[in-house]
Amino acid sequence: MAKKQTKKETKKQTKKEKIDKSKNLISLLKKHGAQVYEDLENGEFPKFSIPNRSISNIIYDKKLRQYVLGTNTSLRSSRNSSQLRSFTQLLWLAFFANKLTHEKKSSTLRDVYYSSQAFAVDFEDQGESDNIIVDLEAVLSQPREDFYVFPEERSSIFGDLTIEYTIPGYEGKTQNLSSHPDGYAIGPSMTSAELVDTSAELVIAIEKGGLFTRFVEEQVDKKFKSIIINTGGQAPRSTRTLLKRLHDEMSLPVVILTDGDVYGEHIAMVIKSGSANAAHLKGLTVPDAKWMGVWATDIDKFKLPTIPMTESDIKRCYDLLKDPRYQEGLWKRELEVFIKIKRKAELEAFSKYGLNNITEKYLPKKLEESKSF
Amino acid sequence: MSSKEQFNQISPSEFFYRNRDLAGFSNPTRSLYTAVREFVENSLDACDHSGILPNIHMTIKAVDPEKPDPKQYILTVKDNGPGIPSKHVPLAFGTVLYGSKFGLKQARGMFGLGATMAILYGQITTNKAVKVKSNADGKTRFDYEMLLDIQKNKPVILKKQETSSSEKGLSVSICLDGDYSKAGTKIRDYVYQTSLITPYATISFDDPKGEKFHHKAIIRSMPPAPTIIAPHPYGIDVETIRRMLVDTHYQIPNVDDKMIEKVRKELGMSKKKFTYDEIMKKTEKKWKSLTRPVRVVIALMSFLEADFEKLQRIRIEDVDLRNNKLIYWDYSTSQTLVADMDVESHYYKQLANTVQGESLTHFLSKRFQRVGPTAALEFCKFAKFKPETRVGNMTDQELVKLSDALQTYEGFRSPDPTCLAPLGDGPLEKGIERRFEPDFMAVVQRTASAYSGFPFVIEMGIAYGGKIETRGTTVYRFANRIPLLYDEGSDVVLKVVKDTDWNRYKVKNDSAPMIIVSHICSTRVPYKTVGKENVADRPEIEKELRLALQFLSRKLSGYMSKKGQAEMAKKRANLYSKYLPLVAQFCTELSGNKKEPNYKEMIKEETALTNSDGSIEEVKKNG
Repeated sequence: MAKKQTKKETKKQTKKEKIDKSKNLISLLKKHGAQVYEDLENGEFPKFSIPNRSISNIIYDKKLRQYVLGTNTSLRSSRNSSQLRSFTQLLWLAFFANKLTHEKKSSTLRDVYYSSQAFAVDFEDQGESDNIIVDLEAVLSQPREDFYVFPEERSSIFGDLTIEYTIPGYEGKTQNLSSHPDGYAIGPSMTSAELVDTSAELVIAIEKGGLFTRFVEEQVDKKFKSIIINTGGQAPRSTRTLLKRLHDEMSLPVVILTDGDVYGEHIAMVIKSGSANAAHLKGLTVPDAKWMGVWATDIDKFKLPTIPMTESDIKRCYDLLKDPRYQEGLWKRELEVFIKIKRKAELEAFSKYGLNNITEKYLPKKLEESKSF
Repeated sequence: MSSKEQFNQISPSEFFYRNRDLAGFSNPTRSLYTAVREFVENSLDACDHSGILPNIHMTIKAVDPEKPDPKQYILTVKDNGPGIPSKHVPLAFGTVLYGSKFGLKQARGMFGLGATMAILYGQITTNKAVKVKSNADGKTRFDYEMLLDIQKNKPVILKKQETSSSEKGLSVSICLDGDYSKAGTKIRDYVYQTSLITPYATISFDDPKGEKFHHKAIIRSMPPAPTIIAPHPYGIDVETIRRMLVDTHYQIPNVDDKMIEKVRKELGMSKKKFTYDEIMKKTEKKWKSLTRPVRVVIALMSFLEADFEKLQRIRIEDVDLRNNKLIYWDYSTSQTLVADMDVESHYYKQLANTVQGESLTHFLSKRFQRVGPTAALEFCKFAKFKPETRVGNMTDQELVKLSDALQTYEGFRSPDPTCLAPLGDGPLEKGIERRFEPDFMAVVQRTASAYSGFPFVIEMGIAYGGKIETRGTTVYRFANRIPLLYDEGSDVVLKVVKDTDWNRYKVKNDSAPMIIVSHICSTRVPYKTVGKENVADRPEIEKELRLALQFLSRKLSGYMSKKGQAEMAKKRANLYSKYLPLVAQFCTELSGNKKEPNYKEMIKEETALTNSDGSIEEVKKNG
């Protein structure tokens, strides 16, 4: 079939890309190391140029449909005694990233913090080491996952998708993700795996673990030919990477189902167009993803039981109204309705009309609707 | 029933008995502390005024240590001062308001009133006698046990004893209700702080729990003693003028041994014993050559029919012209006696003349500081008084008018500060240095200034680091060499310290090991309350305090920035020797090189660089 053919081709391409990316990263790290070495050898103080990540340097790129960093950079020099420590930390992380990439060993953010202690480089707390990791991302313009640093995982995936592992010890091994009803954790081995085959025609991302389990029980994967992903609240980067790959490599549309409140709306927005925190990175967004619900307008339409918004909920609404991404269409409209009704509804609210109401009634209706926007 | 209310006159001791709260004897805790203060300060004052390096020993002992507080304590304070002549002891410790100090000079206390209050309090609470041991001549020690007759304001001597002893000094011991478990901290602080502001004194204290505190004198020289000077017109009120009138030297002179010696000399009767008649006969012959005070004394002798021996045994209390009575105290029988005066006698005229007093201009220029004959005349013009008005004849209304005018007239020069006795830069510095052993210290003594007629001098010291263990700014407040411990919240010194922006002087106010010692010397310290614990914020005083503190803070700031630079340089050097090797190690591995780059020179340069930076700074400072 023609469709399968293209998928295979993309796959080969991505595999090659991946190896290139890894090589690229290693040579990039080596380049930085060599520069520092040369500086020292010449009796000069080495320095790094780091893109400035302050709010003033974050711009919304309409073409890319995400936040990107502006052109401002700041210099971190070992000549400056107040920067010497963080310069050393950054260089150490580059050295550590190099080691991880070479050995293809993954490490969590917390691992990084503890690993530093083996060398005389000290971080005051994990917050400090997390910051340095973001600095290195910005210097390399590569997400930390590329140098094998991952967050603690909490999101999961289920559905007819076959993957082929690439991590050491599992190379070539395949796995179908519909074999275990609790779903599969989305970790480094998942994000780095080859996506081999799927019968699904859709990816449904759900905000909550409870609903994810319900969807598996109700066989939403079969009924709607879908892959179900639990984002566990705000989707972690690895989950967003996987969503993007499912969309780009398997040509699957992505729909998002969240609670009917301002935070839910923003969860969908981050999957679609990224977060300000990761403005220094590209390749984490799925611009075509669609927020399916629960919308503010759905609350009235489906007569959902609601709870009143708190003061901080309302403040969040007004904050988002100023965000350039919320200036038009659905996003603006729903936000304004939330502000108007000052009430919110959780996904579980559908249970009022029976446990399978959400999958039997709401989901089909919204999926149908979503095709049109 | 009669509608008329009955008015009773009360004696001064009764008045104080009824108002003892005012004098700091409100409860056992406060009273014990106040008693300690009064006795220690009396001893220090006595030593200061006779130029003796004070050596004071204090003990507080519980009568029954097993009892819970509050309970009876025996408080004893012993000094090496001049002592009090035996005949004065009963009056000094057995009456309230004995003695007359109308001149102005800086002293810790006034009139020794507080000590009598402490004795009174002890007697009220325990009904036990005060024990006084006094040795004034270095030969005989007189031991007294006395009670105070509150209604009559007279001493009741229970026991009197003589012992020969060469050790001069005074020891006072009272039994009183106290609460040492609560007052202990304050008393120990008081002793410690007193030793800080009196570095020439040795002060030891044995507390009831068996602990011994010994603060040895740090310096062997005393600061110059204050001189007694006349009051300044601005600092006067009606009552003070009235007292001054009573005390003018036109008044009855103080008939002491010196005075008697003078009378004998002028009469040419120094050597032998003379009868009353012999003295009177000689007087008739020599009258014209006699000085005014001698004439007055002889006039008194005529009415008392006294010879020199009798004169020695008495003290004149009042010359009552209206009733023609002469009232005097007899030391030998310890009672007040009255003698009639013959109006016809020419001696009577002499006394009357004396009591009427001198002319206003004479009174002003002789009895006040900063007032000369010219200023006195101009003042009379301003106040619309006749210059020749006799002060003794002035009515109460005229006195009020005089007092008001003295304070509003702007022509007087500012007060004379020679009556003040600041500790001085040297002793203050030594005191701070030895007690705190700081890394940095500075002291300043401002020039004298005045507020409403009272001169004052501010002394201040600042100390930082070293063995100072407290964190945050600790302020030690002193006034006339007395530590002020209570009610610090509302004190003007604290206000000035709080108002200072310490960041400007590179000091972290809340964590700095810093001590400030502030000393206000004045003939009258403007205390906010009777308890003498906090100084009111007079603008003149506040300004001087501010200037003193600014001066010291700038010095501290200089030290802090030098210290900061040295620390920074050291920190930098440490930083480079710690991190550069790591940088070298990581970049070597990252770049795949075998050998580490040659970076050692860079560390050396960096360390050397900061050092030379520091020394350049030094040269600038010194230049």
